[in-house]
Amino acid sequence: MMSPFEVLGVPVLFALDEGELEKRHRDLSKALHPDRYAGRPSSERREALSRAISVNEAFRKLRDPISRAEALLSELGREVTETNQPKPPPALLMQVMEQREALSLARRAGDRGKVESIAAHASGRAEEASERMADAFSEDPIPVEQVLQLLGELRYLRRLKEEAGAALDEL
Amino acid sequence: MLLDIFDPKAAPKAIGIDLGTTNSIVAYVRDGSPAALVTCDGAPLLPSVVHYADSGAILVGRAAKAQLTRDPGRTIASVKRFMGRDAKDPETKRLGAQKFAVPKNDEQARSVRFDVGRPASLTPVEVSAEILKSLKQSAVDQLRGVGGVVITVPAYFDDAQRQATKDAGRLAGLEVLRLLNEPTAAALAYGLEQKQNGLFAVYDLGGGTFDITILRLEDGVFQVKASGGDSALGGDDMDRAIAEGLLEQMGAPSPRSPQVVALALSAARELKHALTETTQASIELPAKGGTSIQAKLTRSELDALILPLLERTGKACRRALRDAGVDAAALDGVILVGGSTKVLRVQSYVAELFGKAPRCELDPELVVAYGAALQADLLTRDDAEVLLLDVLPLSLGIETMGGGVDKILPRNTTIPTGARATFTTYADNQTGFELHVVQGERELAADCRSLARFSLRGIPPMPAGMARLEIELAVDENSLLKVSARETTTGISQEIAVQPSYGLTDDDVERMLIEALDFGEEDLERRRLVETRVEGERLVLATNKGLIADADLLNATERAAVDQALTQLKSAIESAKSASPVQAAIDGLDHATHDWAGRRMNRAVALAIAGKSVLDIEKSVENAAGVDAHVARHRGETA
Repeated sequence: MMSPFEVLGVPVLFALDEGELEKRHRDLSKALHPDRYAGRPSSERREALSRAISVNEAFRKLRDPISRAEALLSELGREVTETNQPKPPPALLMQVMEQREALSLARRAGDRGKVESIAAHASGRAEEASERMADAFSEDPIPVEQVLQLLGELRYLRRLKEEAGAALDEL
Repeated sequence: MLLDIFDPKAAPKAIGIDLGTTNSIVAYVRDGSPAALVTCDGAPLLPSVVHYADSGAILVGRAAKAQLTRDPGRTIASVKRFMGRDAKDPETKRLGAQKFAVPKNDEQARSVRFDVGRPASLTPVEVSAEILKSLKQSAVDQLRGVGGVVITVPAYFDDAQRQATKDAGRLAGLEVLRLLNEPTAAALAYGLEQKQNGLFAVYDLGGGTFDITILRLEDGVFQVKASGGDSALGGDDMDRAIAEGLLEQMGAPSPRSPQVVALALSAARELKHALTETTQASIELPAKGGTSIQAKLTRSELDALILPLLERTGKACRRALRDAGVDAAALDGVILVGGSTKVLRVQSYVAELFGKAPRCELDPELVVAYGAALQADLLTRDDAEVLLLDVLPLSLGIETMGGGVDKILPRNTTIPTGARATFTTYADNQTGFELHVVQGERELAADCRSLARFSLRGIPPMPAGMARLEIELAVDENSLLKVSARETTTGISQEIAVQPSYGLTDDDVERMLIEALDFGEEDLERRRLVETRVEGERLVLATNKGLIADADLLNATERAAVDQALTQLKSAIESAKSASPVQAAIDGLDHATHDWAGRRMNRAVALAIAGKSVLDIEKSVENAAGVDAHVARHRGETA
């Protein structure tokens, strides 16, 4: 199976330019989207559909920092999923736990502003972690253990952001 | 007035249909611009009402609407709200004048059924097909023939509701090229008119459904970033809220007769419409003991009544912005769509919510049909410069042990999309799997929409966790799902029949098609021949065009095979008396062009990627050195 980097024809890199990535996705979609094959034979339409699916799947993977890091690790021969990676350091777990507690308090109190600030805080921290991830991936050799730590951190922050989002849905 | 010159050789026109809760519209593209066709009512808007008369006649549109208060039991309005829903759906319990049939068996219970006083009860698909047939007839009369059709659906419609819409199209004898999301259609109509790149929100409040879509228009691509909404929220709910008050004033006893309910709903609509012009409106209604009352409603009372509904839309809008990862301030414009956005409080609410005045230059009642017509035109052209990239509106998942949901494809994933997941046995010597595919955002499978159940039997006994079942979900450009599954450990790749949880099976639709035609199977066969011929002609055309552009990708043997298959297809189209020889020739050409088609796609991909500048390639090579070096080293170690 082709890697998402191959499918989109982009460099095997963490610090992908988002605008470039989006443009590549648009250009490939223009070439492969099933709408472009509306009058063609059915086998050709099926083929276009399956290729368009691969392009969209690759785009989804590379746009998200977590799955992008996973794809890079997979290039390095390390298949990492949520369940087989090392736990993040206790200090981070403590911080996330405190934030979660604050979140559930704010949720019960109906404090929209507080929930929003927790979500914004999580986003900011996730961006920082992404930047550190980009630095780690640009080193040679790549410090795989550090990457795994950062990946764990990103997962926790994403979950926090999702929980804050769910709380905002209710408020 | 310009007269269209009739060209007998011109291909039939593809049309766009907005199949709305309250009104439906058919439009087409003339000289590059969309135009609505006049329906049987003499106006572009056809009320989405169907009346089943005593005589056996079926009325659609204004004539049917006139029967709503006279004969509500035989008259179906707002049928869209029941599409893809089963007999027990909460939607059937709400204030309305229609009469539901009690399902005779489990098979029947998979769809809502209306009792219109005929021997057989009717499904929403059949009722919707009557509306589509009427629109098709108008198009045939005015365009002298109809090619394919693009039918619009609310962005928030789930798989069952979409499938039902597609079935209705088939039943009406239409070739459904595409289901298109209503907000995306509206954006297309606006975008092609304004030619302005940017980030837009489309707020679409119709008669029965609400959609919010955030999309970006760039390089001719309309890319939806997030969609949200409620497929049971719209102007009908405003009418119900008003009607409840009117029924109280009328002193109508419970249970209320369908006539009284229909009367109150129709009065509610009139008051609502009047209040877009005046600040106070009244209407005369019959009351207890043969008296009558003057029911009054002020604009501020209406505003208060609908505020809870608007707040529900606000919540969906905030979530969509969050899903898209954008602030309201970043939007370049907010577009209003749907008849219910004519209510003044809706407009002011949207302005407050997004912090900017919404745009409604294009008629909010016609703009969706315009977009559908434009998309139909794009699909039938090879030089299309515009592309719509939509998203999956609701997450798709599989029920886990304990009733949870394993989300396999999250909402707002760009479509077409797909995913694979592997499941394993949890008990020793387990010989079967039961799988349940659901759609929705809730944590428990029971709270999500059930889409399909299937089972795999005959797995050889082995320890728990050994057998592997691979599930593949594929979502096409219409947001329609296909599920396939196979057991991989034993090497037996088994085709698994997926039983849809809702709606009609292919056999049901086939049977309805035969019943609907005057001469049954004979007619159906004739129709198939016509359809297959059209498909064949289209293929000949597409292949000839491909030969002009990409003949260099064929070697001499292949070229000869393609030419021969083309000749065979052409003669089959001319001489065939039934569909099957034409179909065989189509398959032959399909086979002969298969490898070539793959090469042509590769060329298209290479061209798309070649757009990249030389500077970018150099930069990326430099940056990629770290990982590439590492990969090379790693491969060296393992080799």
